[in-house]
Amino acid sequence: MTFLFYLFSALALFGGIGVVVNRNPVSSAISMILSFLGLAALFIQLDAFLVGILQILVYAGAIMVLFLFIIMLLDVREEQRRRRSIVHFIGASGVAIAFVALVITVLSRGDIGKANFTALTESKGPGTSDVHQIGELLFSTYWFPVQIVAVLLLVATVGVVVLSKKELK
Amino acid sequence: MPVYYLEIIVVALGLVVLMVDAFVKLEDKRSLAWIGILGLAVVFALLFKVEWPASTEGAFWRFYSSGDSLALFFKGIAVLTTLIVLVMAIDYSPIILKQIANPEPGAHPQAGLGECFALPLFACAGLMWMASANNLVSIFVSLETVTIAFYIMVAYLRRNVGSLEAGVKYLILGALSTGFLVYGFAWLFGITGSMQLSEIATALANPELNPTVALFAFALILVGLAFKIGATPFHLWIPDVYQGAPTPITAFLSVGSKAAGFIITLRLLAPFLGSPALFEKVVLILTVLAVLTLLVGNLAALPQKNFKRLLAYSSIAHAGFLVMALACSPHETGGEITLSPDTVIAFYLGAYLLMTLLAFLVMTTLRTTIPGEERDSYRGLAKRSPFLAFALLISMASLAGVPLTAGFFGKFFVFALAVESQQWTLLVFGLIGAAAGFYYYLKIAVSMYLSDPPQDSDAAPISITPLTRITLLALIVLILLAGVHPGVILGLIG
Repeated sequence: MTFLFYLFSALALFGGIGVVVNRNPVSSAISMILSFLGLAALFIQLDAFLVGILQILVYAGAIMVLFLFIIMLLDVREEQRRRRSIVHFIGASGVAIAFVALVITVLSRGDIGKANFTALTESKGPGTSDVHQIGELLFSTYWFPVQIVAVLLLVATVGVVVLSKKELK
Repeated sequence: MPVYYLEIIVVALGLVVLMVDAFVKLEDKRSLAWIGILGLAVVFALLFKVEWPASTEGAFWRFYSSGDSLALFFKGIAVLTTLIVLVMAIDYSPIILKQIANPEPGAHPQAGLGECFALPLFACAGLMWMASANNLVSIFVSLETVTIAFYIMVAYLRRNVGSLEAGVKYLILGALSTGFLVYGFAWLFGITGSMQLSEIATALANPELNPTVALFAFALILVGLAFKIGATPFHLWIPDVYQGAPTPITAFLSVGSKAAGFIITLRLLAPFLGSPALFEKVVLILTVLAVLTLLVGNLAALPQKNFKRLLAYSSIAHAGFLVMALACSPHETGGEITLSPDTVIAFYLGAYLLMTLLAFLVMTTLRTTIPGEERDSYRGLAKRSPFLAFALLISMASLAGVPLTAGFFGKFFVFALAVESQQWTLLVFGLIGAAAGFYYYLKIAVSMYLSDPPQDSDAAPISITPLTRITLLALIVLILLAGVHPGVILGLIG
């Protein structure tokens, strides 16, 4: 299991680096899909099957395909022609390295937490799927945040219509 | 009436405005704003009739705090701000119509105006949920509801390059800051095992806690929060976004979004400040943040020539005073403190609401007659419209902190708090900031009263609608009243 963990973590990380480093937006988008696949595998290793599958279906599937369509409709060469200044590169990688160093320092300062988390599937005993349990939680304990999200989605829908229509009616 | 009905009423109001816009043939779509204004006035009155439930059993109260007078005060701020923003939007609608997409042939000539009255209502509901949120989940979803509504409203003037640029900047930087906030939440959940703020406070007060990890979570959360409240060094978006956004939305951002940011900040920092192991370091970080914000906000405002940009830096400067109050939080074991940072911040934000909205209301009223928002276009305003000039004078005096205005007591309480908690460094920087403030706020007053109007401008008096006139008068009276008797606002905080 540890080997698989490192394998998929590396996949997610290299995918992420690929998104930033690639000059061609299409390659960036493909790298992002790779990164999402690694993440999905990590979720599945943690017994969060639903989250893992949603990661692939929604993110790697629907959202990234939408991204690719948009990229293809835009002028891709523009981005490739743009020169990148060395100052920006050094600055950005400096910030990124500093942040990673910070996380490593924090992690190396011993015990990071006392909290014990049980997997959803274990808490209710065997035989119940996590889809069932997440659904139940969302519509019982977490019903209030779900209602707020409903307002959020309404706002986003109104916004898309207002901002993107060519002629208003 | 149970407290949670308030948000439901506000969401329903938003839906009514959307539906009426879609299905009822209206002569003038500005009447939609009236639905919102009247509805919000009713909601504001209902705030005084709130009942708290006897039992807080049930899933709902895990996300919504009960018996919380501070939350009620911030809900009041949200409702009042939205109401005045709608008043401004009525005055500003000719400019909105000019800069959104053309209507379809045969469509209503005011197409696209209705949504601009509905979106602030949904944002208002989000701000009200933020005021009561006591759980990381409800904090996050209500915050995002507000932020997404703002992304849309900032970019609303589609054919105006400034508004679009502001929208894109706000979207990208806002998403980045949300990322930091959520990462911080994840660490906090990881070390405490809970998303409930009360349980997090207990877990953080545990002496066996590893302080490094808790501070890391704190730092990440603070980055996200500092972005929302506009504290340096996360203030870079503010001048551009405030300048580019439609003026009523700038007012909404600078009052509504900032107030809600501060209530969330108060709630999220309380567990960290209550932990004996973390207290000193957290206060140190807040002190540094306050000093930077005070310096950058006040000094960068000095050379500004554009009035909207000046108000943007002024909002950073005020965030500096508010963070300063936060950094003066008393240690639990410390001596007797008569002022609590919660009360001081709530009072300051109440006063800030009155004076900032007054300034923006004058600006939107002038916008239809005076083309620019440069400081020089207000030269000699007193000769053309003595009433508007007087309103702006009161607002500037209050923002600067001249005695007998609400702004004076806001700053006074912050400084009193700094003295009580013996934060001398902060006091010095606060005084420097306040002194700089006098210069840049009163410069506008001087140019309105003592300079001649620009040569090419006409001297025709500026027409003010009755609604705007009443709102302006109410704000002026409240500022002066709170400046003589701060109990007017303090009494509401409870």
